[in-house]
Amino acid sequence: MFGKRKERGLREAGWGQTLFAGAIGLIYFFPVLWIIMTAFKTRTDALATPPKFIFTPTLDNFVSVFWRVSQQGNEAISTGFGLYFFNSVFVAASGVLLALIIGTLAAYGFSRYPLKGNDTYLFVILTTRMLPPIIVIIPIFLMFRLTGMSGSYYGVILLYAAFNLPFSIWMMKSFFDELSGDVEDAARLDGSSERGVFFRICLPQLKAGLAATAVFALILTWNEFLFALLLTGSDTRTVPVAMARTIGGELGVDWGLLAAIITLFLIPVFGVTYLLQNHLLRGVTFGTIKK
Amino acid sequence: MSHLIIQDLHKSFGDLRALQGVDMVVEKGEFFVLLGPSAAGKTTTLRMVCGIERADQGRVVFDGEDVTGAEVRGRDMAMVFQTFALYPHMTIFDNLAYPLRQSGMAKADVVQRVNEVAEMLRLGHTLARKPGTASGGEQQRVAIGRALVRRPSLLLLDEPLTNLDAKLRFDTRAEFKRLHRELGMTIVYATPDELEALSMGQRIALLRGGRIVQTGTPDELYTKPQDTYVAGMVGSPKVNLIPAIRRGADDAPLVEMPFGAVQNGPWADALKPFPVGSELIFGFRPHDVAPATDTGGDDGDGGGTMRIAAKVHLIEPLGDVVILDLTAGETQLKMVLPEEQAIRYSVGDDVPVNLRVENSFLFARETGTAIC
Repeated sequence: MFGKRKERGLREAGWGQTLFAGAIGLIYFFPVLWIIMTAFKTRTDALATPPKFIFTPTLDNFVSVFWRVSQQGNEAISTGFGLYFFNSVFVAASGVLLALIIGTLAAYGFSRYPLKGNDTYLFVILTTRMLPPIIVIIPIFLMFRLTGMSGSYYGVILLYAAFNLPFSIWMMKSFFDELSGDVEDAARLDGSSERGVFFRICLPQLKAGLAATAVFALILTWNEFLFALLLTGSDTRTVPVAMARTIGGELGVDWGLLAAIITLFLIPVFGVTYLLQNHLLRGVTFGTIKK
Repeated sequence: MSHLIIQDLHKSFGDLRALQGVDMVVEKGEFFVLLGPSAAGKTTTLRMVCGIERADQGRVVFDGEDVTGAEVRGRDMAMVFQTFALYPHMTIFDNLAYPLRQSGMAKADVVQRVNEVAEMLRLGHTLARKPGTASGGEQQRVAIGRALVRRPSLLLLDEPLTNLDAKLRFDTRAEFKRLHRELGMTIVYATPDELEALSMGQRIALLRGGRIVQTGTPDELYTKPQDTYVAGMVGSPKVNLIPAIRRGADDAPLVEMPFGAVQNGPWADALKPFPVGSELIFGFRPHDVAPATDTGGDDGDGGGTMRIAAKVHLIEPLGDVVILDLTAGETQLKMVLPEEQAIRYSVGDDVPVNLRVENSFLFARETGTAIC
């Protein structure tokens, strides 16, 4: 029996192991689960002690993410959350895309055409990420004020691209380093131009690497709060900033509302990661090169 | 016409001097083998012929044209890499079609050509798959197919059999010879395996440490090695090399070994100028040793054989032939016998053997170069 399982290359876990793994998984997932549950609770249920696991779900919190009742009590006013959500998606996607494009090109250069002192340059690139963001935020804030980039889309997008670039370069360089130089030489011999080698030979082999880099950069950017707080205006505000602004007020923290925002906020990252998970898991070695 | 001429090629990688003046001439339609251990400079030579690597010094002339500094693409040559270097993200069909598409060939022609090559190399059933799912032999045939598909006039093969198992290697050797005969292209084939070199090459260049030691036909390398290195590289089992001293009169030299002396070899005249007492190495192939059938025989001065009193030390059966490791006093030597003759002997037996002196070699011990 055991031998047969081994032959197939995978060993099915028994019920005991599956349940144990499930329990561990639940512990890790519990905070997320709790937030999602809270998003569907009334204010009373959310604050109940002992905490309630069985309750009547409500969508009220989600409605109040987008609309609030006016002071006269007769009008529904938009909270602007739709715009903030769009801002988050737009700014993160553009920043990551830009970092990925520049980072991939730079990484290819660092990997294939090393300069004298290549490692030093790579190290210097990384040092820009060694300072705590809180240190650099003041000069950057002043620069943004001076150049008028404060509150603009392109300002934040450029900043996020720069923010993700060192990481993208390092990660993509390690993927390029793993590719076989023979394959590229073969393509040159087969009549390919240098551009063809990059676009038709190298990049298609690195889909998994690109996906992994994109997901990591996206998560970092998506959750970024400090720069967004100080550098976005009311039109370009992102969700993390908007989220922080719901805390406080005369009724204290509206946990249900906050949980509803977080729940909505999680959806895009979940979605992207889910779509790319096959690439993430597949890794970058394909086994056609015998070493 | 000489198809490929390499003159005084030098290449260093940092402190490593990969090539130190390689010269060779390959004729049109020739099967030329570069033989040498790893790091001898075989791959570097091939890479400079096709232009992937730039020479520090020297020239590469292909088809009468100096291509030393020319671009890689557009050369009428193809290369099969040791690692196969297939495009992992493309199907096998696309791998084979890639060189044709790069040259801008019409779609219908591409399909036809690819199918021709696939049929010739028995790859028809694999075309829709990715290289990663193909077996080692199939991957190797794809690599060869990709090189052949645009019908280059020069084919460079860099240890194409190294990554295959023994059985496949044997079959593919014959396949290469067949392809060479049928397609009539010039082939430069790099290998560390002397069996591959001897069985396929029309001429062999033996490389060591970035230099060519000797170039010649397999027969020349086997029967007239220029030094002990060539003698040791070519021929299996390995040549017997025995330390010896020059003795005898000035015009009647004698080669003295621990187990006896010998004279009248093919090297006898060349040895005359060497002073008595010169240190030598005496070499002979294990195939030139045979058990002495009669008890009389000669003692090395007449009929071209030398009698050695030996003892069986070790027996290595290789199927149809058997290698017998013998000891003659302190000296070890090898003998090859057909299996049916070898079964007579067991370890510890005394075996008087005859050595065929006419096929023996003599080298100067200090330099290793042949005396002939």
